[in-house]
Amino acid sequence: MSTVIEMENVSKVFGKKRAVHSMSFAMERGHSVALLGPNGAGKTTSIAMMLGLTKPTSGRVCLFSGDPKSATSHERIGVMLQEVSVPPRLSVRETIDMFRGFYPKPLPTDRLLQVSGLTEDQKTMAQKLSGGKMRRLQFALALAGDPDVLFLDEPTVGMDVASRRTFWDEVRSFLRAGKTLMLTTHDLQEADMLADRIVVMQNGAVIADAPPESIKMQFGGRTVSFVAGPDIDFERLRMLPDVTDVQTVGRQVTVRTQNSDALLKTLILEAWDIRDIQVHGGGLEDAFVRLTAEGGESQ
Amino acid sequence: MRATLTYWKYELIRTLRDRRFFLLTLGMPVIFYFVFINQQGGALRIAGTFWSHYFMVSMASFGVVGSSINTLGVRLAAERQSGWVRYLRTTPLSSFGYAIAKILTQLTLSLLIILCIFLVAHFSQNVSLSGGEWLTITLWLWIGSLPFAALGVFIGLTGNAAQPLGTLMYLVASMLGGLWTPIQALPSVMQTIAKWTPTYHYAHPAWRILAGQSIQASDILVLLGWTLLFLIGSVALQRRIDTKVQM
Ligand SMILES: Nc1ncnc2c1ncn2[C@@H]1O[C@H](COP(=O)(O)OP(=O)(O)OP(=O)(O)O)[C@@H](O)[C@H]1O
Ligand SMILES: [Mg+2]
Repeated sequence: MSTVIEMENVSKVFGKKRAVHSMSFAMERGHSVALLGPNGAGKTTSIAMMLGLTKPTSGRVCLFSGDPKSATSHERIGVMLQEVSVPPRLSVRETIDMFRGFYPKPLPTDRLLQVSGLTEDQKTMAQKLSGGKMRRLQFALALAGDPDVLFLDEPTVGMDVASRRTFWDEVRSFLRAGKTLMLTTHDLQEADMLADRIVVMQNGAVIADAPPESIKMQFGGRTVSFVAGPDIDFERLRMLPDVTDVQTVGRQVTVRTQNSDALLKTLILEAWDIRDIQVHGGGLEDAFVRLTAEGGESQ
Repeated sequence: MRATLTYWKYELIRTLRDRRFFLLTLGMPVIFYFVFINQQGGALRIAGTFWSHYFMVSMASFGVVGSSINTLGVRLAAERQSGWVRYLRTTPLSSFGYAIAKILTQLTLSLLIILCIFLVAHFSQNVSLSGGEWLTITLWLWIGSLPFAALGVFIGLTGNAAQPLGTLMYLVASMLGGLWTPIQALPSVMQTIAKWTPTYHYAHPAWRILAGQSIQASDILVLLGWTLLFLIGSVALQRRIDTKVQM
């Protein structure tokens, strides 16, 4: 396995603002990493350093074991950045063709138009595209050189439901070909489905780095909710093993636990005064909210 | 190299679709040529040549300076501000390749402007020179345009100020350098000022060739001085931008 990205103790300071703080991170080929975090967490800055767009204040960044600024390493990557507009007076097709001309082995233009769903807009002036279509054009540009690694910074912003779905389908087929993905998104459901590794950043630091399942297990847990009868002993409920939180709204009780099986057994075997039991798996979003809330407290 | 040539090609396509380029950058010198020739009469003698010849060089220079500042400079500023230049840096087109593509584009446009004005002068005023004279004047105006490419880069780095600053430089430098009114017709103070401008020293050797004289080293030296100044200015601006980003 070869290393695609390596960051060693990397920090980036803008004046007094610490955007990224002692980040160490490595990504192997064939993996898909979702970089998550609240606004301003330092995701875009990290990606900019991986791509050689921003120089780290301290630390070392390698792309394909070399200088991230080197033009040859850029032949193997495709990028969608936040906030880019394309130059005026070129059509969609021409803009794509221009990008194809930058790479040694580009994908066919028609294929790129089709992948981005822009076949019908190919003669439109690229600068006049709507926000979502502009995003799709940038996806076509990112794929133009038939890259091994895709860097996507919040790719689906502005896309409608249908194009979002086609977009993720395309990314999935890209991954099936054994390629590598570095993604930032606020769409946690998609991150969960696509990524085999989740990195959560907050205030410039990595606060979690694990496969989605283990992040969900560790921070999401499960919730068991039920309607409580008058005889219920809340004190004891809170003291049960693995219970991390108990919320009540009227008679509706929601218990958060690391081990829903054990909790359910206890509740049933001890014949607690409850009814309408429901169990929810904590999704990634749940885990994310808890993680970043904890991270916020410790800062 | 592949990336640079590709970018050059699409830069040219974009320029050929730019109405502003044709109306202002190329159109203004052509219109001025007709207007000022008609006012004075092309047969008027000036600086050892005819007014129709002399003013052809003036307007070719005016056009080249305009495209360096407006097409190169202002466009560069826009491309930097829109994040496009940053995006390009993630592709195999290196910063160096991008700069080369921009310079190649500028040289192509300069040549196009020079040839256009020469053709207009030739066909409307019967300006005719020997093959050798056409060639040396064209080559001089072409290669001598590089200092203005450096000025274009400098202006391209000034961000929001690029458009107003560019227009100001374009008009003031052309006027002071004697591209509109020959400096022989100006008061002596203005003549002294003109001899410090890059525009004057750019057109001057071409005027001399028209009069059968040779190119002087002093013109080349002054132009080199200005080029150096624009380059130093560009580097300083780039440094300032870089440290601002670090802040
Ligand atoms: N060029 C800059 N100059 C000064 N501060 C900056 C600069 N770029 C980023 N920052 C700051 O660094 C921090 C991290 O920003 P960054 O763009 O990396 O966040 P992000 O995680 O990508 O957020 P978002 O989800 O909003 O895209 C922010 O506080 C931001 O204000
Ligand atoms: Mg961001």
